[in-house]
Amino acid sequence: MAEFLQITLSGLATGSIYALAAIGFTLLWQASQTINFAQGEFVMLPAFFVLIGMHVLGLPLFVAMLFALLLSLILLGAMFKKLVIEPMLPHGTLPIVMATIALGILMKESVKEFYSAEAQPFPALVSDRTVDIFGASVSFQDIANLAISLLVVVALQFFLNGTRTGRCMQATAQNPGVAEILGVNIKRMVLYTFLINAALATVASFLISPIYLAKFSNGEPIGLVAFIAAIVGGFNQIRGALVGGLLIGVVDNLAASYVSAQYRAAVPLLLLIVIILVRPQGIMGKAEGRTV
Amino acid sequence: MLELKELFGGYGKMTILNGVSFKIDKGTITTVIGPNGAGKSTVFKAIFGLLNIHSGQILLDGKDVTRQTPAQIIAHGVTYVPQGRNVVPQLSVLHNLELGGITAKDQTLVKRRIEEVMDQFPILREKRHSQAITLSGGQQKQLEIARSLLLDPKLILIDEPSIGLSPNLVQEVFQTLKKLRDKGVTILMVEQNAKAALAMSDYGIVLELGQRRMHDRADALLADPRVGQLFLGGSTQKSVA
Repeated sequence: MAEFLQITLSGLATGSIYALAAIGFTLLWQASQTINFAQGEFVMLPAFFVLIGMHVLGLPLFVAMLFALLLSLILLGAMFKKLVIEPMLPHGTLPIVMATIALGILMKESVKEFYSAEAQPFPALVSDRTVDIFGASVSFQDIANLAISLLVVVALQFFLNGTRTGRCMQATAQNPGVAEILGVNIKRMVLYTFLINAALATVASFLISPIYLAKFSNGEPIGLVAFIAAIVGGFNQIRGALVGGLLIGVVDNLAASYVSAQYRAAVPLLLLIVIILVRPQGIMGKAEGRTV
Repeated sequence: MLELKELFGGYGKMTILNGVSFKIDKGTITTVIGPNGAGKSTVFKAIFGLLNIHSGQILLDGKDVTRQTPAQIIAHGVTYVPQGRNVVPQLSVLHNLELGGITAKDQTLVKRRIEEVMDQFPILREKRHSQAITLSGGQQKQLEIARSLLLDPKLILIDEPSIGLSPNLVQEVFQTLKKLRDKGVTILMVEQNAKAALAMSDYGIVLELGQRRMHDRADALLADPRVGQLFLGGSTQKSVA
């Protein structure tokens, strides 16, 4: 029982980080029909910004993290929108998919070429002590990861539902034509979405890199899991992406412990197949129907 | 108060408006009628800055507002209710109303106006916390009209308000528009249900092939046999010839 609890909790912790990437993924889709196949690399890269800040510029950790966040907002938020998505958008979804796949490869190979092909240690934000919860020994790191991720999600939900700007963003995502005729600055709302995605990816990067180390190839599994989490949860729902991320984290961890560590990577895919067969709109998703 | 001068425009290279000109007065209801594809809705889009205008001018109270953005047009006191469903589906009724005043600097005024329009449309007060998607078609249309009133517009462009509404509700919407007119609001409307619309309007404009064919008092147009011809799918020109 204690072991089960331990595995579940650490699954939730990893899953909550996946959820951050999945939520960003969902937001981009809603705001601009962008399916970002570079999302995993978006999570991989900010860790290297931190390392550059610390080792090249000699900044202390927290300053380096701010530096990384700023760089991510500019590069992965504003520039990504301006230089990759905007020129591609008039040509439809498929060219965007190809462009983001290419961008992912570029980011990955650049890190390998210009920084290092080796996994780099990344400083942990909290101590690696463990704490005993009902007999299960849970690491502080897991608890902190879960708490920080959930806090970020709650803050995001509050921003989207509780502020006028957030509601304008929702209007832009749900019905851009209407938002426009009401005078909402659509371009700015879409930009905000890209900035939020960059910020989410950065937070995910800070949380996951101490566990997996910073490596150029980290983006592949994370991007895949984020994509699956978004679909499993329901592509058009933030709550869905959260649930999808947590679910995959837990299922993945349980499978690795109780079924087979070799086949753990297959488990999210199996989950995806089952969900698509049984509930194609996702766990939390609503079928994109219209009422009369 | 609104004047179109020799307006040419369309989507991309396709031209829909072929030199439309007309002028409407303050505090009147004018209905634009015409066969499908005459460019009725396109005229509205042109006024609201949503169309590629090739040449010509749009004047609002004498000011040139041609090619301005929707936000700029709203700032001049014009609102637009397009045809079809135009609510933000997953936001509440209240937040949909709030969006109608999103461009206003004074948000306390917007809050007061929301209360006022909910008095005007009691069903919206009743459902204010429901998601807009859960409203019936008629209720959604009321929400859209209420939303367009939030900024106390001088001019309302309303496209096919009767589509999908029950006859009772159509009369209700028309009554609302008349009340607004009596308060000095100018209304320009496109309506499929041309007879009913002309019957409640002050003026009518017949549009055909992107040009103005007739512009007269609504009762005169109703009595005109050429207009009757138009309702039956004919053309004003054939009957003249």
